[in-house]
Amino acid sequence: MYEELMAVYEKKEGSPLVFQPRLRHWYDFNYNAGTLPERYHGMYLDEVYTDLGVPPREVWGPRRIGSELSGYFALDTVDGDDVEVWTRNLSGYMGESMDDYLITEIRTPVGSLRQVQRYTEHGTSLMNVEYYLKSLDDLKVFEYILAERSYGWNQNRYEWGKKRYGDAIPLRANLERSPIMWLIVGIMGFKKTVTMIWRHPEEMKQFIRVLETEHIKQIEAYRGKPVAELSFGDNMHQDLCPPPYFKEYVTPFYQRVMPRVHAHGMVASSHFDGTLKQLLPLVGETGLDGLECVTPLPQGDVTIQEIKEGMGDMFLRDGIPAVHMCPWTPVETLKSHVRELMETFYPRLILGISDLLPANGDVERIRLVKKMVEKFNAEL
Amino acid sequence: MTKEELFTEIKTALVEFEVDLLKMKAQEALDQGIKAEEIISILSEGMDVVGEKYEAGEYFVTSLIIAGETMKETLEVLEPHLSGQGGAKRGKIVMATVAGDIHDIGKNIFTTLMGTASYEVIDLGVDVSAETIVAAVKEHSPHILGLSALLTTNLEQFPLIIEMLKKEGLRSKVKIVVGGAVMTDEFAKGAGVDAHAKSAVEGVNICKTWV
Repeated sequence: MYEELMAVYEKKEGSPLVFQPRLRHWYDFNYNAGTLPERYHGMYLDEVYTDLGVPPREVWGPRRIGSELSGYFALDTVDGDDVEVWTRNLSGYMGESMDDYLITEIRTPVGSLRQVQRYTEHGTSLMNVEYYLKSLDDLKVFEYILAERSYGWNQNRYEWGKKRYGDAIPLRANLERSPIMWLIVGIMGFKKTVTMIWRHPEEMKQFIRVLETEHIKQIEAYRGKPVAELSFGDNMHQDLCPPPYFKEYVTPFYQRVMPRVHAHGMVASSHFDGTLKQLLPLVGETGLDGLECVTPLPQGDVTIQEIKEGMGDMFLRDGIPAVHMCPWTPVETLKSHVRELMETFYPRLILGISDLLPANGDVERIRLVKKMVEKFNAEL
Repeated sequence: MTKEELFTEIKTALVEFEVDLLKMKAQEALDQGIKAEEIISILSEGMDVVGEKYEAGEYFVTSLIIAGETMKETLEVLEPHLSGQGGAKRGKIVMATVAGDIHDIGKNIFTTLMGTASYEVIDLGVDVSAETIVAAVKEHSPHILGLSALLTTNLEQFPLIIEMLKKEGLRSKVKIVVGGAVMTDEFAKGAGVDAHAKSAVEGVNICKTWV
């Protein structure tokens, strides 16, 4: 699959189409719930991928929950000597509900920040119930942490990942979400970010530029290394990041960083997984090479044709709405969707599920789509 | 300034999220002897305009949040002047994100809009079990039950809740509206709910046709 994926990055034509679904969430959930199909009892995720004949998405994932395989993260993050990170797990009540929580506290000479995350879906996912940034004062603490933070390439981890799956897929490395989405999804939360931008526009604008310097540091750490693609896990969604935000914060950010990405010989994509009708006409201006997920109807709000019109020559990774992998969707609906997707996007397509096989998805549908891809490739 | 002109300014200030101006105008109206309840009804009209602009694609979810914050801060000015009876409520809704799911952005926006549209909202929160939801319907006798889910795994909760409502003899007494990104018309129909709302504003509009 290595050459076929590189062909997409390099815009080569005539190369076979790759089907690269994400299975980790489905596997973890059903493993923990004791509901894995009998065929996969006792198998590691690697073996499930091999059994289905599809390549994994990430070997070099961010090593945290949701990351494919073991996550041989190729970058080491080093915080300043006077920054302490304390974590603890708690089973019990936080607010109103009793559950399992992960509490992270970062202590610095200029103040402390606390984040509380709740384990969900049999411990396979984490949701923030408290974000690090709650006030203007917290921005200063975070700024202090980032100013001291550095990133370094970890050759050992890269080699381990390469040994495990490196012949199958090129190295796709992860970065933080672009600054506004890093705030909304990662460190401040949606409502707080919106109200802070409304109440303190100048301070927030300045802070967003501070976040951008982290991306520059990360991109520079990947410079000259065997990285083919950089992935911004934005979770872009027009309800969270409407066109005015996109134009103000997202487009200029990518316009500034993409020339640097290309100058270092890499391509970059961003994860768009919400409703997108109003954002797709804007993505061309970002300079991004591709988009991941881009959920079509009936789960998202765009048709395959609208996605193509918005993305133009960018490559699409995924495109099958997750609900089409669920048992209640007729198989013929899935088949006709996949056919249209392949006909519309190939060769600028890496087929996958937008954005992963759901926990209650039918894994046999992976095999079905794989067969459709084989037939499509045989007719090339 | 006439009362009508003042009301126009209040409405415009809300629609344009001019919170400081809005609070000043609300105070001005109170000083003129206008009842807080009447000012709140003008604010509700302003929220309807915000909803219309959202439907037209001119405003976004972020706008709904800012409008909600603007409204909330203005209500703090008005609340000490309420007669204590409160405004007449249009209807009652019990709202919840179903068990196993803790996504609440859409639910919270919907409940904010329902509150400003004069519905009494009983928000059960997130990750709410079917048993708790059915018990709340039994206890509060709402006109409407609103259910939200963002994960495909939690869609299975919807038919389960409906089945339990039927067993308790409550299904025919409550309208059910559902929302969430993974919800499809096909699934909603199969689950036996009354309506599937694709946005918070559409949800409010559906509820308004019921009660």
